[in-house]
Amino acid sequence: MRVSRLERKYALAGYAMLAPALLVIALVTIFPIGYSVWMSLNNISSTYSGFQFSFAGLSNYITVFHAPIFWQSLLFTVMYAAVTVVVEMVLGLLVALALNQPIRGRGVAIAVMLVPWTLITVISAQMWGYIYNGIYGVLNAVLMSLHIINTQVLWLGAPTSATISIMIADIWKTTPFVTMILLAGLQLIPSDLYESAKIDGATGWRSFWNVTFPLLRPSLGLAALFRILQAFGLFDLPFVLTNGGPGTSTEPIAMLAYKAIFNDGNFGTGTAVAVSTVGIVILLALLSLKALRTQVGEID
Amino acid sequence: MKKSIKAGFAVLTASALSLSGMAVQSSFAAVKHAAAPVTIVWYAGTISGNGLRADVVSHFEKLYPNIKVKVVAEPTNTDTTRAQLIAQISGGATQPDVYLGDVIWPGQFGSMHLALPLNKYLPKSFFNQFAPGLVAGASYKGNVYGSPWFQDSGFLYYRKDLLAKYHLPVPKTWEKLQQEARFLLNKKAVKYGFVWQGSSYEGLTCDWMEYLTDAGGQVFNAKGQPVMDSPAALHALNFMRGLITSGVSPKAVTTFTEPNTMNLFNAGQAAFLRNWDYAYTNSQTKGQSSVIGKVGVAPLPTFAGHGTAGYATIGGWDNYINPHTKHLAQDLLFVKYLASVPGETILATKASEIPTNNAVQHNPAVRRLNPVLSIVAEQHLIARPSQSPSYAKVSQAIYTNINAALSGQTSTANALKQANSQLASAQSSSSL
Repeated sequence: MRVSRLERKYALAGYAMLAPALLVIALVTIFPIGYSVWMSLNNISSTYSGFQFSFAGLSNYITVFHAPIFWQSLLFTVMYAAVTVVVEMVLGLLVALALNQPIRGRGVAIAVMLVPWTLITVISAQMWGYIYNGIYGVLNAVLMSLHIINTQVLWLGAPTSATISIMIADIWKTTPFVTMILLAGLQLIPSDLYESAKIDGATGWRSFWNVTFPLLRPSLGLAALFRILQAFGLFDLPFVLTNGGPGTSTEPIAMLAYKAIFNDGNFGTGTAVAVSTVGIVILLALLSLKALRTQVGEID
Repeated sequence: MKKSIKAGFAVLTASALSLSGMAVQSSFAAVKHAAAPVTIVWYAGTISGNGLRADVVSHFEKLYPNIKVKVVAEPTNTDTTRAQLIAQISGGATQPDVYLGDVIWPGQFGSMHLALPLNKYLPKSFFNQFAPGLVAGASYKGNVYGSPWFQDSGFLYYRKDLLAKYHLPVPKTWEKLQQEARFLLNKKAVKYGFVWQGSSYEGLTCDWMEYLTDAGGQVFNAKGQPVMDSPAALHALNFMRGLITSGVSPKAVTTFTEPNTMNLFNAGQAAFLRNWDYAYTNSQTKGQSSVIGKVGVAPLPTFAGHGTAGYATIGGWDNYINPHTKHLAQDLLFVKYLASVPGETILATKASEIPTNNAVQHNPAVRRLNPVLSIVAEQHLIARPSQSPSYAKVSQAIYTNINAALSGQTSTANALKQANSQLASAQSSSSL
């Protein structure tokens, strides 16, 4: 297809008008990312006159990929993302289905449900810290008064219980977010579809699998994409609750990068961890988007 | 930035030429009377109350009317503070001009050029005013990066009423302490014999350094090689583990941080406590202690045959200067003031912290306020191996393995072997 001169002129004018915005995007996103990639390819020492770069090729990446702690943190993050996203999707769907019914006090219920999501994570994490505290924590007090346990448990003191404790705090906070996306998706489904399903003799269960679920898939995909991306950036909950401990058993990948850069001053290795994570996350995002797009196509 | 450092150099070279402390004073006096008022930023934590920082600043501003000091609060978590300073100063920030930093930072901050080498700007006489051991703790590779401001160290707190009742002397050796604690437990005088900080964190590194040094061991030798798998270290660790297996210290001691030990001692449940200087005042505060008037304080014990008093790990905070500061001359005046007799007297009387200035430390009027101060002179101090730029990783290699041995997850010999190999890799600067 030939592009006419007029069209080309319009296109040029369009690009010219977009240029300032593109420049801003370049400055605030592409430059920092590019700079991080450049940092990760160098050995960086901090001197009195600023950073000193010496090109190191891929040696920082080799260090990272040979460090057991990187794989341990990655595994923790992946496992954490998998468990929390699945649980949040299921719980979020159940709550969204309930809230989609024309029940009384629905507005109030939605407002109350949103409270955990609106709280700042470091603050709600601090509150969970008081709940889990091994000496004066309310969880121990409740469980002991119910005779479920008979000695105080250090919930954040052992790897498995600390991981589960952090997951619970995350699920408590983020389920409302999933619920909101799914509730919006549910309200887009035309009610006449349910009516015709009913006429065809479909039970509630049947109409959920044949009407609700397929039409909700784009929303489910979107919620999952958001949640996976957020889960990979996990930092604040373990930072407040365990600082990655005991040992390094609850140290997510973002905290590993943070510690390498800001505790140890290893700018090169730290940015290599960060860039590797970005790579993995972009890959996951592309896969999710692709899945999402085919779904949208099918519906059309 | 460079210009101001050069200007500072000029001031100092001029004063160094006349080779006397008085000359330094007079050249600084020139700064004092300079026309334009200058504001410097001091990044400092709340210490033991909000009033202290304001008090020293207002006194300083009275002495130097042309300098204003703006206090910016540091986070209460030392690691968060460190992360912020690393981000800001390595990025070239000119503020804060002066910051209060942990005594364990000089290695990392010196190697990363995040603090000015003060010995290049201040005369020897400045460093001679501090209590012995403190300047070495603030040094890295021959340069002094911190000006010690307040000192902290480990002490032995004991129930003097119980020792008197059973005619027991204050223990001078660890073996004697264990024996007396056992005796008091058998008499059912207390629930726990001896409580200390055994959780897997920085505090355990502090406690460990004391036993290790008492036994004659080291973390690194003079060449900087890790030597923590020595027979002396094994003796120290076996003794610590023995405290737990013999029941003198509760099993839960491996999860104890300072507040846990303090609470047990204040509740009258423990006969002996290892803690920092604040513990005395804490145990004598109405409403939070049931042992008011029953507490004695002494230098920590040592192992039998290893001298008269044990080693106490150095804690505390130093003042550092941002190398990118635009007001070096004013910063130096402020740092000098904070370490001086007036500055340190305010600190010692207002905050009841241990002053680092030798003269203030030995002032009888100041000593009367806090019995802990009269012990300080008898102590042997030991610095943690923070000369290593990667001290954070070094400490982690120590406390995770010592904690594993104390809680019985691994043998004492194995824990030390493991710690030693992790210490070796912790020293590599680029390791994760």
